[in-house]
Formats: sequence, C-alpha cells, structure tokens
Amino acid sequence: MAFTNEQLERYSRHIILSEVGVKGQKQLLQSKVLIIGAGGLGAPAALYLAAAGVGTIGIADADSVDLSNLQRQVIHTTPDVGKAKTQSAKETMEAINPDITVNTYHTFVTARNIPELIAGYDFIIDGTDNFPAKFLINDACVLAKKPFSHAGIIRFKGQLLTYAPDKGPCYRCVFKEPPPPEAVPTCRQAGVIGAMGGVIGSLQAMEAIKYIIGKGELLTGYLLTYDALKMEFRKIKLPGNDSCPVCGKNPSILEPFDYEQTACDLKGGH
Amino acid sequence: MKLTVSGNVKEYAGGLTVRKLLELEQVETPEYVTVSVNDEFIPTGDFDTAALSDGDSVEFLYFMGGGR
Amino acid sequence: MADFQIDAEADITDVVCPVTFVKAKVALEELEDGQIISIRINDGEPVQNVPRSLKEEGHQILKLSANGDETYNLIVRKVGE
Repeated sequence: MAFTNEQLERYSRHIILSEVGVKGQKQLLQSKVLIIGAGGLGAPAALYLAAAGVGTIGIADADSVDLSNLQRQVIHTTPDVGKAKTQSAKETMEAINPDITVNTYHTFVTARNIPELIAGYDFIIDGTDNFPAKFLINDACVLAKKPFSHAGIIRFKGQLLTYAPDKGPCYRCVFKEPPPPEAVPTCRQAGVIGAMGGVIGSLQAMEAIKYIIGKGELLTGYLLTYDALKMEFRKIKLPGNDSCPVCGKNPSILEPFDYEQTACDLKGGH
Repeated sequence: MKLTVSGNVKEYAGGLTVRKLLELEQVETPEYVTVSVNDEFIPTGDFDTAALSDGDSVEFLYFMGGGR
Repeated sequence: MADFQIDAEADITDVVCPVTFVKAKVALEELEDGQIISIRINDGEPVQNVPRSLKEEGHQILKLSANGDETYNLIVRKVGE
C-alpha cells in the first residue's frame, strides 16, 4: 500500500512522529475498532479515530438523535435530530475522512449478538451509559480475548480503564456486579458536563491508537480518574483478582449474559 | 496513625476498620464502593472486620455509570 | 552525483511543508539500511528544513547540490531500520 500525496498530507502530523511513522499510519488504516454507544463518550472517540484514519470503524447504537443529546454528543448536529445515531455518526465520520469504512449496527447490544459483533474488530470502546451494558461488554471482550476501553462519566467526573487479554484486571475484577437500579445515579438522572465526554472519550480513542500502533504503556492495571472541579487526575493501581468470575482462575461466567435493564435504561437506548 | 487515603496522607486515631474509615470519610453508598488496601481488594463483607494499621494505603473505587 | 551509487530517487518539489519532510521520510522508509537516495527539493523553506529534519532522524546527509533551477538534489544515506 503506497500513500497518495493527499494521504501524506492528511496524515503528515502522524507520519512525522517517530512512534507512528509510515508503519504506524498503515497499521491504523488497516485496523478495525468497534464503538458501542454513539453518545457522550462514543462521539469524540469516533471523531478522533475517523480523523486518525482507523480504516474500519463499527458503531453500534439503537437510539435516535435527541435534542438533549447535542449538549455533549458532538458527532451529531441539530439537523440530525430524529435520525438514527449510527447513521448520523457515519455521515460525520465519512465527511471528516473519506478514506475510512464505517459499519453501522442500529441495534441494542445483547448477549445474543455481542460475540458476533465484536468478532471482527481489533479493539472495542465501551461508550455505553448503563451498568448491564458495561458488564456485558466486559464479559464478552474478556471471553473473546478482545482488548477494550471501559469508561464512565457523571457530573464533573470521569474514569476509565483498559483491559487487554491476560493483562487484567478486568472491570468485573473491580466491580463484581451491577448495583441495583437507582442505587447509584447515572448521567441521565445526575447530569454531566458535555466536555467530560470529550476528555474521557478522547482518552479512550488514544488507548485504541496506542494499542494499534503498539507504542507506549496502555492503561491496563490502573483506573484513571478525573475530577474536573478539583482539576485532578489520579492513576490508581488496581489489585489483581484471582477469584474474578470471568477472568479469574476458576471462572463461573463462561459466556456473555444479559442483566435485566430498567425501563429507564431501555428508554435511553441500551 | 498515618493513612494514605485516595492519595492523601492524613492522621487518624488507631483501631480503625474499613467500615469506620468509610464513615469518617463520608463515602456515599459505601455498600457499592470497592475498597483496596495496600494493593489488595477488601471484600464488602469484610468491611466491619478489616483493621487498618499505620502506613496503610487505601483507595475507594466508585461505580460510574454514565457515558452517553 | 556520480560520486555516489544512487539506489533510489524521490521528488518532493510537488508538495509543501510539512509534507515535504513526510514524503522524504516515506521514501527513506522503503530503503534498506545503508542505501542511498537522491531527493529533489525546492529552494527556500524545504532546502532549509528537510536536510536538518532527516539528520535529526539519524540519517546521513552526503551532499546537497543546486540544480540551477531553484531546486536542489539532496543525497542521503539511510541509517537504521
């Protein structure tokens, strides 16, 4: 694969970097990343990965664009209200970079479809907003040996961790199971600063890029937390957990399963 | 005794359990907080009995559900 | 030019900074360690910046000669992988 002058210009700021170069840019163009959730986290992640020339980007979301989304979901615009989020996201990504292929999955992600969904991708980004989905993505990725970036945002706070096969701990090592509905607030009830999705979703994109080009240290074994009001980032070391039911020594979870979702979660799209 | 709690070194009275520290630090919904002490997870069921000693490093890890 | 065994040629006069350096870098990445490339570059900013940037990447600048048409020929030996 030889670069055209146009591609050299488009990706020049990448190719100049010794950690990326021609090789890294080719790796990006040949890579496949799946983003689950085209919302506050998924929108910035999708924009940066598209701009970076990640060759194939999958985007899964069952929702349509709502006016209340536009405060943070920067991949959608006002004329997109009412449109499927996957379609709106695809149009924006292709407008940024016609080099890439965008696959859309206008569907709920469930235990039934997730193995097939993630199978063709190199890296998964969890941009969902509810615990059942986050646990489902964790379990499915651990079982399928897929690296992924988990994240959550609420109010002025955000956090993320990266899992790579055999480089645990996974999300379930830290949080055993979803809290009961309404026990801890989600961003729909609690609110969130739109830029928080930009900060954390961009970090997720950065993890995907580092994984693809194989440079630097991934956020495996750590939870990175961000408190915007205190303007404080903390990289917290996570203990290992041999008794984890999905990635531990004697796993009891052998295939993905769905937790029951609340009516509120379902209404929101996941 | 000195404890490092969420990265900050602070002075505490001796004889503290994880449960008591969660109360002192006014941690919300402590039953849904993951606690690690010196790079080891403390099972939720052990919060009442897990004693903290001078020099321990404690982290509270919170559920964060939002994303869209 | 005859002083060196030229293994490859590149022309970066059709692009502007920073793509000039990028195009030179791409051409060099396709060579083996020790091979020599002749790169045609424009006068002005490219001739000032490209040789220096390639040197910073560890390559060896062998010769820079004016062609008399506001372009230069830069002879570079690839160093490293």
